[in-house]
Amino acid sequence: MSLPLYYYLAITSIYILMTWALYLPYRVAHLHFMVVANMAISGYFGGYAATQWGWPFGLALLVGIAIGAFISFLVSFGIGDAPTFAVVIVGFTFIYITKTAIENWDVIGGTMGMFGIPVVKNLLLYVYIFVLITGFFIYRFDNSRLGRAASAKFVDRDLATSFGVNTKYLGMFLQTWAGAIGGACGVFYAFLMNSLFPDFFTFHIIGTTMTMLFLGGYTTLWGPLLAAPILWGLPLILPTGVASWKQIIYGIILIVILLLRPEGAVTRKFLRKLQVKLKLVKMA
Amino acid sequence: MEVFIAQVINGLSLGSIYVLLVTGFNLLLLVAMIIHFSFPIVVVFSMYIAWIVLGLTGNNLFLGISAGIVSAILLNIITAPMFQHIMKKRGEVDINSTMVLSMGLGMIITDFLSHSINKGFPIAFPDALTGRAEGAFLKIGIISMSRGAFLALIVGIIFVLGLFWILYKTKQGRAFRAIAEDPNGAKLVGLPILKTGFQSYALTGFLGGSTAILMAILLGSASPGLGDQLGHKVLAVSIIAGLGNLKGGLIVGLSLGILEALVQGYWTGTWSNAVAFVIMLIAILVKPKGLFGMKL
Repeated sequence: MSLPLYYYLAITSIYILMTWALYLPYRVAHLHFMVVANMAISGYFGGYAATQWGWPFGLALLVGIAIGAFISFLVSFGIGDAPTFAVVIVGFTFIYITKTAIENWDVIGGTMGMFGIPVVKNLLLYVYIFVLITGFFIYRFDNSRLGRAASAKFVDRDLATSFGVNTKYLGMFLQTWAGAIGGACGVFYAFLMNSLFPDFFTFHIIGTTMTMLFLGGYTTLWGPLLAAPILWGLPLILPTGVASWKQIIYGIILIVILLLRPEGAVTRKFLRKLQVKLKLVKMA
Repeated sequence: MEVFIAQVINGLSLGSIYVLLVTGFNLLLLVAMIIHFSFPIVVVFSMYIAWIVLGLTGNNLFLGISAGIVSAILLNIITAPMFQHIMKKRGEVDINSTMVLSMGLGMIITDFLSHSINKGFPIAFPDALTGRAEGAFLKIGIISMSRGAFLALIVGIIFVLGLFWILYKTKQGRAFRAIAEDPNGAKLVGLPILKTGFQSYALTGFLGGSTAILMAILLGSASPGLGDQLGHKVLAVSIIAGLGNLKGGLIVGLSLGILEALVQGYWTGTWSNAVAFVIMLIAILVKPKGLFGMKL
Protein backbone atom coordinates (compact mmCIF):
# COMPACT_ATOMS: atom_id res chain seq x y z
CA MET A 1 0.00 0.00 0.00
CA SER A 2 1.34 3.45 -0.90
CA LEU A 3 2.17 5.80 1.94
CA PRO A 4 -0.36 8.55 0.96
CA LEU A 5 -3.14 5.93 0.76
CA TYR A 6 -2.09 4.50 4.14
CA TYR A 7 -2.26 7.93 5.78
CA TYR A 8 -5.52 8.79 4.02
CA LEU A 9 -7.18 5.62 5.30
CA ALA A 10 -5.77 5.97 8.81
CA ILE A 11 -6.56 9.68 9.26
CA THR A 12 -10.01 9.24 7.74
CA SER A 13 -10.81 6.48 10.22
CA ILE A 14 -9.56 8.63 13.13
CA TYR A 15 -11.85 11.42 11.91
CA ILE A 16 -14.76 8.95 11.67
CA LEU A 17 -14.13 8.09 15.33
CA MET A 18 -13.84 11.75 16.33
CA THR A 19 -17.06 12.57 14.51
CA TRP A 20 -18.78 9.68 16.30
CA ALA A 21 -17.40 11.11 19.54
CA LEU A 22 -19.29 14.32 18.68
CA TYR A 23 -22.31 12.40 17.38
CA LEU A 24 -22.95 10.48 20.61
CA PRO A 25 -23.48 13.46 22.97
CA TYR A 26 -25.28 15.31 20.17
CA ARG A 27 -27.93 12.58 20.40
CA VAL A 28 -29.03 14.52 23.51
CA ALA A 29 -28.27 17.91 21.87
CA HIS A 30 -24.85 18.33 23.51
CA LEU A 31 -22.03 19.66 21.30
CA HIS A 32 -19.29 18.11 23.40
CA PHE A 33 -16.11 19.68 22.00
CA MET A 34 -14.24 18.48 25.05
CA VAL A 35 -13.40 15.33 23.08
CA VAL A 36 -10.66 17.36 21.36
CA ALA A 37 -9.09 18.02 24.77
CA ASN A 38 -9.48 14.31 25.60
CA MET A 39 -7.71 13.49 22.33
CA ALA A 40 -4.81 15.80 23.22
CA ILE A 41 -4.44 14.59 26.83
CA SER A 42 -4.57 10.87 25.98
CA GLY A 43 -2.39 11.34 22.88
CA TYR A 44 0.33 13.06 24.88
CA PHE A 45 -0.02 10.53 27.68
CA GLY A 46 0.30 7.61 25.24
CA GLY A 47 3.28 9.21 23.53
CA TYR A 48 5.01 9.94 26.82
CA ALA A 49 4.33 6.46 28.21
CA ALA A 50 5.74 4.82 25.07
CA THR A 51 8.85 6.99 24.79
CA GLN A 52 9.77 7.35 28.47
CA TRP A 53 8.41 4.23 30.16
CA GLY A 54 8.57 1.88 27.17
CA TRP A 55 4.86 1.02 27.34
CA PRO A 56 3.54 -1.11 24.47
CA PHE A 57 0.90 0.41 22.17
CA GLY A 58 -1.94 -1.77 23.54
CA LEU A 59 -1.39 -0.67 27.12
CA ALA A 60 -1.03 2.99 26.12
CA LEU A 61 -4.30 2.72 24.16
CA LEU A 62 -6.21 1.15 27.05
CA VAL A 63 -4.96 3.69 29.59
CA GLY A 64 -5.54 6.53 27.08
CA ILE A 65 -9.16 5.41 26.69
CA ALA A 66 -9.56 5.19 30.47
CA ILE A 67 -8.11 8.69 30.98
CA GLY A 68 -10.41 10.17 28.32
CA ALA A 69 -13.44 8.47 29.86
CA PHE A 70 -12.47 9.42 33.42
CA ILE A 71 -11.95 13.12 32.70
CA SER A 72 -15.20 13.34 30.74
CA PHE A 73 -17.00 11.45 33.49
CA LEU A 74 -15.80 13.90 36.15
CA VAL A 75 -16.77 16.92 34.06
CA SER A 76 -20.14 15.37 33.19
CA PHE A 77 -21.20 15.78 36.83
CA GLY A 78 -21.33 19.49 36.05
CA ILE A 79 -22.63 19.45 32.48
CA GLY A 80 -24.41 16.10 32.12
CA ASP A 81 -27.73 17.89 31.91
CA ALA A 82 -26.55 21.42 31.11
CA PRO A 83 -27.85 23.47 28.16
CA THR A 84 -25.97 22.98 24.86
CA PHE A 85 -24.20 26.35 24.99
CA ALA A 86 -22.78 25.57 28.44
CA VAL A 87 -21.47 22.23 27.14
CA VAL A 88 -19.93 24.03 24.15
CA ILE A 89 -18.15 26.60 26.27
CA VAL A 90 -16.85 24.01 28.74
CA GLY A 91 -15.39 22.14 25.74
CA PHE A 92 -13.71 25.26 24.38
CA THR A 93 -12.36 26.18 27.80
CA PHE A 94 -10.91 22.71 28.32
CA ILE A 95 -9.22 22.82 24.92
CA TYR A 96 -7.71 26.19 25.73
CA ILE A 97 -6.49 25.13 29.19
CA THR A 98 -5.11 21.82 27.85
CA LYS A 99 -3.25 23.57 25.03
CA THR A 100 -1.78 26.16 27.42
CA ALA A 101 -0.67 23.39 29.82
CA ILE A 102 0.97 21.39 27.00
CA GLU A 103 2.74 24.47 25.62
CA ASN A 104 4.15 25.33 29.04
CA TRP A 105 5.22 21.81 29.99
CA ASP A 106 8.77 21.18 28.81
CA VAL A 107 8.74 17.49 29.88
CA ILE A 108 6.39 16.72 26.98
CA GLY A 109 8.12 19.03 24.52
CA GLY A 110 6.26 22.30 25.13
CA THR A 111 5.64 24.35 22.01
CA MET A 112 8.31 22.34 20.11
CA GLY A 113 6.22 19.17 20.26
CA MET A 114 6.87 15.55 21.18
CA PHE A 115 8.97 13.33 18.92
CA GLY A 116 10.15 9.73 18.71
CA ILE A 117 6.86 7.97 19.39
CA PRO A 118 7.51 4.40 18.17
CA VAL A 119 6.09 2.98 14.94
CA VAL A 120 3.41 0.30 15.42
CA LYS A 121 3.06 -2.52 12.92
CA ASN A 122 -0.48 -3.09 11.64
CA LEU A 123 -1.71 0.18 13.19
CA LEU A 124 -4.19 0.64 10.35
CA LEU A 125 -5.70 -2.75 11.13
CA TYR A 126 -6.05 -1.84 14.82
CA VAL A 127 -7.72 1.46 13.95
CA TYR A 128 -10.22 -0.27 11.66
CA ILE A 129 -10.98 -2.95 14.25
CA PHE A 130 -11.64 -0.13 16.74
CA VAL A 131 -13.89 1.63 14.19
CA LEU A 132 -15.87 -1.59 13.67
CA ILE A 133 -16.26 -2.26 17.39
CA THR A 134 -17.26 1.35 18.12
CA GLY A 135 -19.68 1.38 15.17
CA PHE A 136 -21.24 -1.86 16.36
CA PHE A 137 -21.83 -0.51 19.87
CA ILE A 138 -23.21 2.79 18.56
CA TYR A 139 -25.56 0.84 16.26
CA ARG A 140 -26.73 -1.24 19.23
CA PHE A 141 -27.16 1.92 21.30
CA ASP A 142 -29.15 3.70 18.59
CA ASN A 143 -31.58 0.77 18.39
CA SER A 144 -31.92 0.31 22.12
CA ARG A 145 -34.25 1.86 24.69
CA LEU A 146 -31.47 4.23 25.69
CA GLY A 147 -31.09 5.36 22.08
CA ARG A 148 -34.81 6.09 21.85
CA ALA A 149 -34.60 7.94 25.18
CA ALA A 150 -31.79 10.05 23.71
CA SER A 151 -33.93 10.84 20.65
CA ALA A 152 -36.79 11.85 22.94
CA LYS A 153 -34.48 14.14 24.90
CA PHE A 154 -33.17 15.72 21.70
CA VAL A 155 -36.70 16.59 20.58
CA ASP A 156 -38.20 17.60 23.92
CA ARG A 157 -36.37 17.43 27.22
CA ASP A 158 -39.52 17.83 29.32
CA LEU A 159 -41.30 15.09 27.39
CA ALA A 160 -38.36 12.74 27.91
CA THR A 161 -38.34 13.51 31.64
CA SER A 162 -42.08 12.85 31.90
CA PHE A 163 -41.48 9.44 30.29
CA GLY A 164 -39.08 8.66 33.11
CA VAL A 165 -35.81 9.27 31.26
CA ASN A 166 -33.04 10.35 33.60
CA THR A 167 -31.60 13.01 31.32
CA LYS A 168 -28.64 13.74 33.59
CA TYR A 169 -27.41 10.13 33.70
CA LEU A 170 -28.02 9.74 29.97
CA GLY A 171 -25.97 12.87 29.24
CA MET A 172 -23.21 11.71 31.62
CA PHE A 173 -23.10 8.27 29.99
CA LEU A 174 -22.83 9.67 26.46
CA GLN A 175 -20.23 12.28 27.42
CA THR A 176 -18.11 9.62 29.14
CA TRP A 177 -18.36 7.33 26.12
CA ALA A 178 -17.42 10.20 23.81
CA GLY A 179 -14.44 11.02 26.06
CA ALA A 180 -13.25 7.41 25.79
CA ILE A 181 -13.42 7.53 21.98
CA GLY A 182 -11.63 10.91 21.99
CA GLY A 183 -8.89 9.38 24.18
CA ALA A 184 -8.49 6.44 21.78
CA CYS A 185 -8.24 8.84 18.82
CA GLY A 186 -5.43 10.72 20.59
CA VAL A 187 -3.37 7.54 21.12
CA PHE A 188 -4.02 6.34 17.54
CA TYR A 189 -3.01 9.74 16.17
CA ALA A 190 0.17 9.87 18.31
CA PHE A 191 1.32 6.43 17.11
CA LEU A 192 0.33 7.15 13.52
CA MET A 193 2.23 10.44 13.20
CA ASN A 194 5.04 9.43 15.62
CA SER A 195 5.05 13.03 16.86
CA LEU A 196 2.62 15.48 18.46
CA PHE A 197 2.31 19.26 18.38
CA PRO A 198 0.05 21.39 20.59
CA ASP A 199 -1.05 23.46 17.59
CA PHE A 200 -2.83 20.43 16.13
CA PHE A 201 -5.33 20.28 18.98
CA THR A 202 -7.09 23.54 18.25
CA PHE A 203 -10.32 24.83 16.84
CA HIS A 204 -9.68 23.55 13.31
CA ILE A 205 -10.38 19.97 14.50
CA ILE A 206 -13.70 21.23 15.84
CA GLY A 207 -14.48 22.88 12.50
CA THR A 208 -13.58 19.76 10.54
CA THR A 209 -15.43 17.24 12.73
CA MET A 210 -18.45 19.51 13.10
CA THR A 211 -18.69 19.85 9.31
CA MET A 212 -18.39 16.05 8.98
CA LEU A 213 -21.17 15.57 11.52
CA PHE A 214 -23.59 18.06 10.02
CA LEU A 215 -22.83 17.19 6.39
CA GLY A 216 -23.17 13.46 6.97
CA GLY A 217 -26.14 13.87 9.24
CA TYR A 218 -26.40 13.95 13.01
CA THR A 219 -29.34 11.59 13.33
CA THR A 220 -27.64 8.34 12.28
CA LEU A 221 -24.17 6.86 12.74
CA TRP A 222 -23.83 6.35 8.98
CA GLY A 223 -23.51 10.07 8.23
CA PRO A 224 -19.98 10.49 9.67
CA LEU A 225 -18.95 7.26 7.91
CA LEU A 226 -19.89 8.86 4.60
CA ALA A 227 -18.80 12.44 5.24
CA ALA A 228 -15.34 11.88 6.79
CA PRO A 229 -13.70 10.21 3.74
CA ILE A 230 -15.30 12.75 1.35
CA LEU A 231 -14.39 15.85 3.35
CA TRP A 232 -10.88 14.67 4.21
CA GLY A 233 -10.30 13.56 0.63
CA LEU A 234 -11.66 16.75 -0.95
CA PRO A 235 -8.58 18.95 -0.31
CA LEU A 236 -6.36 16.12 -1.57
CA ILE A 237 -7.91 16.14 -5.04
CA LEU A 238 -8.19 19.93 -5.30
CA PRO A 239 -5.30 22.04 -6.69
CA THR A 240 -2.84 23.05 -3.93
CA GLY A 241 -3.80 26.73 -4.18
CA VAL A 242 -7.47 25.91 -3.52
CA ALA A 243 -6.80 23.16 -0.96
CA SER A 244 -5.03 25.62 1.36
CA TRP A 245 -8.44 27.29 1.79
CA LYS A 246 -9.74 24.06 3.37
CA GLN A 247 -11.38 25.69 6.39
CA ILE A 248 -13.24 28.18 4.19
CA ILE A 249 -14.48 25.31 2.02
CA TYR A 250 -15.62 23.43 5.14
CA GLY A 251 -17.30 26.58 6.48
CA ILE A 252 -19.22 27.09 3.22
CA ILE A 253 -20.26 23.41 3.12
CA LEU A 254 -21.43 23.64 6.73
CA ILE A 255 -23.54 26.73 6.08
CA VAL A 256 -25.02 25.39 2.84
CA ILE A 257 -25.98 22.05 4.41
CA LEU A 258 -27.57 23.78 7.41
CA LEU A 259 -29.64 25.98 5.12
CA LEU A 260 -30.67 23.35 2.59
CA ARG A 261 -30.73 20.09 4.54
CA PRO A 262 -30.50 20.84 8.27
CA GLU A 263 -30.41 17.19 9.34
CA GLY A 264 -27.56 16.37 6.92
CA ALA A 265 -27.23 13.97 3.99
CA VAL A 266 -28.07 10.67 5.69
CA THR A 267 -31.22 11.06 7.75
CA ARG A 268 -33.45 8.41 9.33
CA LYS A 269 -36.11 9.18 6.72
CA PHE A 270 -33.55 8.64 3.96
CA LEU A 271 -32.53 5.29 5.48
CA ARG A 272 -36.18 4.13 5.71
CA LYS A 273 -36.71 5.03 2.03
CA LEU A 274 -33.53 3.20 1.11
CA GLN A 275 -34.68 0.11 3.03
CA VAL A 276 -38.02 0.11 1.19
CA LYS A 277 -36.27 0.47 -2.18
CA LEU A 278 -33.89 -2.36 -1.39
CA LYS A 279 -36.82 -4.60 -0.40
CA LEU A 280 -38.58 -3.77 -3.68
CA VAL A 281 -35.43 -4.59 -5.66
CA LYS A 282 -35.13 -7.91 -3.82
CA MET A 283 -38.79 -8.77 -4.48
CA ALA A 284 -38.39 -7.92 -8.18
CA MET B 1 -1.81 48.69 46.63
CA GLU B 2 -0.93 50.98 43.70
CA VAL B 3 -0.46 47.94 41.43
CA PHE B 4 -3.88 46.71 42.50
CA ILE B 5 -5.56 50.05 41.73
CA ALA B 6 -3.73 50.35 38.39
CA GLN B 7 -4.81 46.86 37.37
CA VAL B 8 -8.42 47.49 38.44
CA ILE B 9 -8.50 50.61 36.23
CA ASN B 10 -6.99 48.67 33.31
CA GLY B 11 -9.48 45.89 33.99
CA LEU B 12 -12.40 48.31 33.82
CA SER B 13 -11.29 49.40 30.32
CA LEU B 14 -11.00 45.78 29.18
CA GLY B 15 -14.24 44.91 30.96
CA SER B 16 -16.14 47.68 29.19
CA ILE B 17 -15.12 46.07 25.87
CA TYR B 18 -16.42 42.71 27.10
CA VAL B 19 -19.64 44.38 28.21
CA LEU B 20 -20.17 45.88 24.73
CA LEU B 21 -19.53 42.52 23.09
CA VAL B 22 -21.74 40.62 25.53
CA THR B 23 -24.54 43.18 25.19
CA GLY B 24 -24.47 42.86 21.39
CA PHE B 25 -24.42 39.08 21.68
CA ASN B 26 -27.32 39.08 24.16
CA LEU B 27 -29.34 41.51 22.06
CA LEU B 28 -29.12 39.17 19.07
CA LEU B 29 -30.02 36.28 21.32
CA LEU B 30 -33.04 38.01 22.80
CA VAL B 31 -34.50 39.70 19.75
CA ALA B 32 -33.30 37.70 16.75
CA MET B 33 -33.18 34.50 18.87
CA ILE B 34 -29.84 33.40 17.52
CA ILE B 35 -26.70 32.33 19.35
CA HIS B 36 -24.25 34.38 17.29
CA PHE B 37 -21.12 32.74 18.59
CA SER B 38 -19.02 34.47 15.93
CA PHE B 39 -20.21 37.99 16.71
CA PRO B 40 -16.74 38.84 18.15
CA ILE B 41 -15.18 37.44 14.94
CA VAL B 42 -17.29 39.95 12.98
CA VAL B 43 -15.84 42.62 15.31
CA VAL B 44 -12.28 41.49 14.53
CA PHE B 45 -13.15 41.52 10.81
CA SER B 46 -14.18 45.17 11.21
CA MET B 47 -10.86 45.92 12.92
CA TYR B 48 -9.13 44.55 9.82
CA ILE B 49 -11.31 46.66 7.50
CA ALA B 50 -10.53 49.78 9.54
CA TRP B 51 -6.80 48.91 9.34
CA ILE B 52 -6.97 48.48 5.54
CA VAL B 53 -8.82 51.79 5.03
CA LEU B 54 -6.45 53.62 7.39
CA GLY B 55 -3.54 52.28 5.33
CA LEU B 56 -5.13 53.22 2.03
CA THR B 57 -6.11 56.75 3.07
CA GLY B 58 -2.88 57.72 4.81
CA ASN B 59 -4.37 57.27 8.30
CA ASN B 60 -7.54 59.27 7.71
CA LEU B 61 -9.23 58.57 11.05
CA PHE B 62 -12.74 59.56 9.95
CA LEU B 63 -12.69 57.19 6.97
CA GLY B 64 -10.98 54.39 8.89
CA ILE B 65 -13.42 54.52 11.81
CA SER B 66 -16.44 54.85 9.48
CA ALA B 67 -15.29 51.87 7.39
CA GLY B 68 -14.89 49.74 10.51
CA ILE B 69 -18.39 50.55 11.78
CA VAL B 70 -20.11 50.29 8.36
CA SER B 71 -18.43 46.94 7.60
CA ALA B 72 -19.79 45.41 10.82
CA ILE B 73 -23.32 46.70 10.11
CA LEU B 74 -23.16 45.39 6.52
CA LEU B 75 -21.77 42.00 7.48
CA ASN B 76 -24.44 41.58 10.15
CA ILE B 77 -27.24 42.57 7.74
CA ILE B 78 -25.89 40.45 4.84
CA THR B 79 -25.71 37.35 7.01
CA ALA B 80 -29.06 37.99 8.71
CA PRO B 81 -31.20 36.19 6.05
CA MET B 82 -29.28 32.95 6.69
CA PHE B 83 -30.14 33.06 10.37
CA GLN B 84 -33.72 34.16 9.63
CA HIS B 85 -34.06 31.20 7.24
CA ILE B 86 -33.18 28.79 10.04
CA MET B 87 -35.39 30.59 12.54
CA LYS B 88 -38.38 30.29 10.18
CA LYS B 89 -38.00 26.53 10.46
CA ARG B 90 -37.85 26.57 14.25
CA GLY B 91 -40.38 23.77 14.40
CA GLU B 92 -37.91 21.45 12.70
CA VAL B 93 -34.58 22.90 13.78
CA ASP B 94 -33.41 23.83 17.25
CA ILE B 95 -31.81 27.13 18.29
CA ASN B 96 -28.41 25.38 18.49
CA SER B 97 -28.35 25.27 14.69
CA THR B 98 -27.92 29.05 14.69
CA MET B 99 -24.83 28.58 16.84
CA VAL B 100 -23.41 26.01 14.41
CA LEU B 101 -24.24 28.31 11.48
CA SER B 102 -22.47 31.15 13.25
CA MET B 103 -19.45 28.89 13.86
CA GLY B 104 -19.36 28.13 10.11
CA LEU B 105 -19.38 31.84 9.42
CA GLY B 106 -16.58 32.30 11.95
CA MET B 107 -14.50 29.58 10.25
CA ILE B 108 -14.81 31.40 6.92
CA ILE B 109 -13.94 34.86 8.29
CA THR B 110 -11.02 33.63 10.42
CA ASP B 111 -9.51 31.60 7.58
CA PHE B 112 -10.02 34.49 5.17
CA LEU B 113 -8.18 36.85 7.54
CA SER B 114 -5.34 34.40 8.10
CA HIS B 115 -4.85 33.84 4.36
CA SER B 116 -5.58 37.15 2.71
CA ILE B 117 -4.72 40.12 4.89
CA ASN B 118 -1.12 40.97 5.84
CA LYS B 119 -0.17 37.37 4.88
CA GLY B 120 -1.85 36.16 8.06
CA PHE B 121 0.51 38.10 10.34
CA PRO B 122 -0.94 40.23 13.15
CA ILE B 123 -1.73 43.82 12.21
CA ALA B 124 -0.66 46.92 14.16
CA PHE B 125 -2.78 50.06 14.18
CA PRO B 126 -1.10 53.42 13.54
CA ASP B 127 -0.21 55.77 16.40
CA ALA B 128 -2.64 58.30 14.93
CA LEU B 129 -5.46 56.02 16.11
CA THR B 130 -4.01 54.46 19.24
CA GLY B 131 -2.17 57.49 20.62
CA ARG B 132 0.70 55.25 21.77
CA ALA B 133 3.30 57.86 20.84
CA GLU B 134 1.77 60.31 23.32
CA GLY B 135 2.61 58.08 26.29
CA ALA B 136 0.41 57.89 29.41
CA PHE B 137 -2.76 59.98 29.35
CA LEU B 138 -3.17 59.94 33.13
CA LYS B 139 -0.34 59.30 35.57
CA ILE B 140 -0.51 59.24 39.37
CA GLY B 141 2.48 57.46 40.93
CA ILE B 142 2.80 54.11 39.20
CA ILE B 143 -0.85 54.26 38.19
CA SER B 144 -0.96 55.27 34.54
CA MET B 145 -3.63 55.07 31.89
CA SER B 146 -3.17 55.26 28.13
CA ARG B 147 -5.46 57.37 25.98
CA GLY B 148 -6.83 54.13 24.49
CA ALA B 149 -7.72 52.67 27.87
CA PHE B 150 -9.33 55.93 28.96
CA LEU B 151 -11.32 56.22 25.72
CA ALA B 152 -12.40 52.57 25.87
CA LEU B 153 -13.64 53.07 29.41
CA ILE B 154 -15.52 56.33 28.79
CA VAL B 155 -16.97 55.43 25.37
CA GLY B 156 -17.75 51.93 26.62
CA ILE B 157 -19.76 53.36 29.54
CA ILE B 158 -21.55 55.85 27.23
CA PHE B 159 -22.43 53.12 24.73
CA VAL B 160 -23.68 50.71 27.36
CA LEU B 161 -25.80 53.48 28.95
CA GLY B 162 -27.06 54.47 25.48
CA LEU B 163 -27.97 50.92 24.64
CA PHE B 164 -29.79 50.41 27.92
CA TRP B 165 -31.61 53.72 27.28
CA ILE B 166 -32.71 52.49 23.84
CA LEU B 167 -33.81 49.16 25.29
CA TYR B 168 -35.69 50.50 28.30
CA LYS B 169 -36.81 54.02 27.36
CA THR B 170 -37.70 53.99 23.66
CA LYS B 171 -40.56 52.48 21.62
CA GLN B 172 -38.10 50.45 19.57
CA GLY B 173 -36.49 49.14 22.73
CA ARG B 174 -39.91 48.06 24.03
CA ALA B 175 -40.45 46.20 20.75
CA PHE B 176 -37.09 44.45 21.20
CA ARG B 177 -37.93 43.45 24.75
CA ALA B 178 -41.47 42.39 23.86
CA ILE B 179 -40.17 39.99 21.22
CA ALA B 180 -37.56 38.72 23.66
CA GLU B 181 -40.20 38.16 26.33
CA ASP B 182 -42.91 36.54 24.22
CA PRO B 183 -42.46 36.27 20.43
CA ASN B 184 -45.98 34.94 19.85
CA GLY B 185 -47.58 37.61 22.02
CA ALA B 186 -45.54 40.30 20.24
CA LYS B 187 -46.74 38.96 16.88
CA LEU B 188 -50.36 39.01 18.09
CA VAL B 189 -50.18 42.70 19.00
CA GLY B 190 -48.83 43.48 15.53
CA LEU B 191 -45.10 43.80 16.06
CA PRO B 192 -43.16 42.94 12.89
CA ILE B 193 -40.96 40.09 14.10
CA LEU B 194 -38.65 39.82 11.07
CA LYS B 195 -38.25 43.60 10.64
CA THR B 196 -37.47 44.08 14.33
CA GLY B 197 -35.05 41.18 14.07
CA PHE B 198 -33.26 42.92 11.18
CA GLN B 199 -33.14 46.15 13.20
CA SER B 200 -31.45 44.27 16.01
CA TYR B 201 -28.84 42.99 13.50
CA ALA B 202 -28.19 46.57 12.37
CA LEU B 203 -27.99 47.87 15.95
CA THR B 204 -25.63 45.11 17.04
CA GLY B 205 -23.62 45.70 13.86
CA PHE B 206 -23.19 49.32 14.90
CA LEU B 207 -22.28 48.22 18.40
CA GLY B 208 -19.83 45.66 17.00
CA GLY B 209 -18.18 48.18 14.66
CA SER B 210 -17.79 50.72 17.47
CA THR B 211 -16.33 48.02 19.72
CA ALA B 212 -13.88 47.14 16.93
CA ILE B 213 -12.58 50.70 16.90
CA LEU B 214 -12.33 50.81 20.70
CA MET B 215 -10.45 47.51 20.66
CA ALA B 216 -8.10 48.82 17.99
CA ILE B 217 -7.38 51.84 20.21
CA LEU B 218 -7.05 49.79 23.40
CA LEU B 219 -5.07 46.80 22.09
CA GLY B 220 -3.21 48.52 19.24
CA SER B 221 -3.08 45.29 17.26
CA ALA B 222 -5.20 42.35 16.07
CA SER B 223 -4.68 38.85 14.76
CA PRO B 224 -6.98 36.35 12.99
CA GLY B 225 -7.16 34.19 16.15
CA LEU B 226 -8.34 37.11 18.33
CA GLY B 227 -11.97 36.58 17.32
CA ASP B 228 -11.99 32.93 18.41
CA GLN B 229 -10.62 33.80 21.82
CA LEU B 230 -13.05 36.71 22.26
CA GLY B 231 -15.97 34.60 21.04
CA HIS B 232 -15.12 32.05 23.65
CA LYS B 233 -14.93 34.65 26.43
CA VAL B 234 -18.11 36.43 25.37
CA LEU B 235 -20.10 33.19 25.37
CA ALA B 236 -18.56 32.28 28.73
CA VAL B 237 -19.46 35.69 30.24
CA SER B 238 -22.94 35.40 28.84
CA ILE B 239 -23.42 31.92 30.30
CA ILE B 240 -21.97 32.84 33.70
CA ALA B 241 -24.25 35.90 33.83
CA GLY B 242 -27.23 33.90 32.53
CA LEU B 243 -27.92 33.84 28.78
CA GLY B 244 -29.77 36.94 27.65
CA ASN B 245 -29.42 38.69 31.01
CA LEU B 246 -28.23 42.19 30.04
CA LYS B 247 -27.62 43.46 33.56
CA GLY B 248 -25.86 40.23 34.52
CA GLY B 249 -23.67 40.58 31.41
CA LEU B 250 -22.70 44.07 32.55
CA ILE B 251 -21.57 42.87 35.98
CA VAL B 252 -19.81 39.68 34.82
CA GLY B 253 -18.18 41.42 31.81
CA LEU B 254 -16.63 44.10 34.02
CA SER B 255 -15.64 41.48 36.61
CA LEU B 256 -13.88 39.35 33.97
CA GLY B 257 -11.97 42.39 32.73
CA ILE B 258 -10.81 43.21 36.26
CA LEU B 259 -10.00 39.57 37.01
CA GLU B 260 -7.88 39.24 33.85
CA ALA B 261 -6.04 42.49 34.55
CA LEU B 262 -5.32 41.43 38.14
CA VAL B 263 -4.07 38.00 37.07
CA GLN B 264 -1.83 39.63 34.45
CA GLY B 265 -0.59 42.11 37.06
CA TYR B 266 0.48 39.46 39.54
CA TRP B 267 1.06 36.42 37.30
CA THR B 268 3.13 36.82 34.16
CA GLY B 269 3.40 34.55 31.12
CA THR B 270 0.90 32.58 29.08
CA TRP B 271 -0.55 30.98 32.22
CA SER B 272 -2.30 34.23 33.14
CA ASN B 273 -4.98 33.75 30.47
CA ALA B 274 -5.44 30.13 31.50
CA VAL B 275 -6.10 31.18 35.10
CA ALA B 276 -9.03 33.33 33.95
CA PHE B 277 -10.31 30.39 31.89
CA VAL B 278 -10.06 28.01 34.87
CA ILE B 279 -12.13 30.40 36.99
CA MET B 280 -14.67 30.71 34.16
CA LEU B 281 -14.76 26.92 33.85
CA ILE B 282 -15.43 26.43 37.56
CA ALA B 283 -18.21 29.04 37.47
CA ILE B 284 -19.90 27.30 34.50
CA LEU B 285 -19.52 23.81 35.99
CA VAL B 286 -20.96 24.92 39.33
CA LYS B 287 -23.78 27.01 37.86
CA PRO B 288 -24.34 26.07 34.18
CA LYS B 289 -27.55 28.13 34.03
CA GLY B 290 -25.87 31.35 35.14
CA LEU B 291 -25.49 33.44 38.28
CA PHE B 292 -28.30 35.91 37.50
CA GLY B 293 -30.70 33.58 35.70
CA MET B 294 -31.43 33.06 32.02
CA LYS B 295 -33.78 35.44 30.24
CA LEU B 296 -34.72 33.10 27.40
